[in-house]
Amino acid sequence: MALSHSRRRAITLSALAVVTAYGLYQAGGVGNGIRGLAGGILRPFSWTVNAVATPIGHLLAGAVNYSDLVSQNQQLRAELGKAQLAASVNAGATSTLAALDAVLHLPFIGSTPSVVAQVVSVSPTNFAATVTISKGASDGLLPGMPVVANGGVVGRIIATTNHGSTVRLITDANSSLNVTFGKQATTVLVDGRGVNDGLAMGGIPVTAPLTIGQVLLSSSLSGSTMPGGLPVAKVTSISVTPGSSTYAATVAPVADLNHLSFVDVLLWEPST
Amino acid sequence: MSRLIAVVILITGCLVALQIDVLSHIRLFGVVVMVVWLWPFCLGLLGAGQVAVVAGVISGLCFDAHAATTFGLNAAVGAAVAAVGLRLERQGVGDIDGAAWWTAPALSALTGVAAPLLFILAGAFTLDFSLWRGSLVLTMVVNAAAFAVLARPLLLASRTLTGLAPVRR
Repeated sequence: MALSHSRRRAITLSALAVVTAYGLYQAGGVGNGIRGLAGGILRPFSWTVNAVATPIGHLLAGAVNYSDLVSQNQQLRAELGKAQLAASVNAGATSTLAALDAVLHLPFIGSTPSVVAQVVSVSPTNFAATVTISKGASDGLLPGMPVVANGGVVGRIIATTNHGSTVRLITDANSSLNVTFGKQATTVLVDGRGVNDGLAMGGIPVTAPLTIGQVLLSSSLSGSTMPGGLPVAKVTSISVTPGSSTYAATVAPVADLNHLSFVDVLLWEPST
Repeated sequence: MSRLIAVVILITGCLVALQIDVLSHIRLFGVVVMVVWLWPFCLGLLGAGQVAVVAGVISGLCFDAHAATTFGLNAAVGAAVAAVGLRLERQGVGDIDGAAWWTAPALSALTGVAAPLLFILAGAFTLDFSLWRGSLVLTMVVNAAAFAVLARPLLLASRTLTGLAPVRR
């Protein structure tokens, strides 16, 4: 009986601890404090595990993947050469576009200031697609700012601390984004489907045809959460229901979200 | 008792660090194996009593500190699986010496199936319904398989390190 009491007490105390922690978290600042405290407590353990596991991991990865690394390196060199060539060609076009922008007063992403940040960690859980970056509020970053890398949109900042920020990737189940495509500038919502499942979009009017591989750009509609014209996703498959006035498509992010090292945070806030 | 608490806290810290720094990067079919859920369950099976529940809460809270999901969800799951492990131990099920060799892995596999579901249900109580989306079935299957494989080694290692053993009835 006494054992049963002690167990009940432990479960009650644990439940109270969880409820209290959740309450503190909802309170805002204290939640960040608890997260920081827990991170601080874990740091020595993390350091020890890293010190032991990292060299072993590198040794095994190096032994197994060496030929892959060599071919990847060659491929990257080739891509770098192409990118340098494209950059030279684009330099002229950029100045022309900037001049046009000045005349027409169009939004031009090239003129949006940005902050480069390093990706310090990826989400450790199966239920949220986020990354943590090395720049935060002290660098002028605010929640809601768009993040780009690897040639496309990566996500948006959802929380900041003084020296770090959490970025919700566009594949996260809580993420949705307006994209535009075609001559009629059709605007459709793209939704994240979770960590491993990429993106999806539905309700596309049949009058606005899509092709496989077509790149979808962020919409510049008033109230959009991103500046217009940023590459967001590529169409990978199209699913049409006969008789329906709309169809659906599966899309994949343009940016490679599995290999993020550095990202650009655009110092841009949605217009109200 | 104080030695047990100290050892359990030390192992919990190491396992959470291992989870965050190593296991979260080694995704099987894109799925993270949640050792922070298996550990309190094993402690429960070994008869650690309230220490198992507390270990579940601590490991969950430490993990929650690094995840973007609602704070406290992993702690709730950790406490729940520890309580289930305790209940099984009290009924004499899952004894690694007395029961059939496959009993503990099978129970752990069931935990691997139930824990992600429990996580999502707990998320629904915080009005976060987005957790239903994504690869829930894949997460359950991978965790079940991994828990089945890891259960026995983790139980044996835990018993050696903590000196715990289920009470024979």
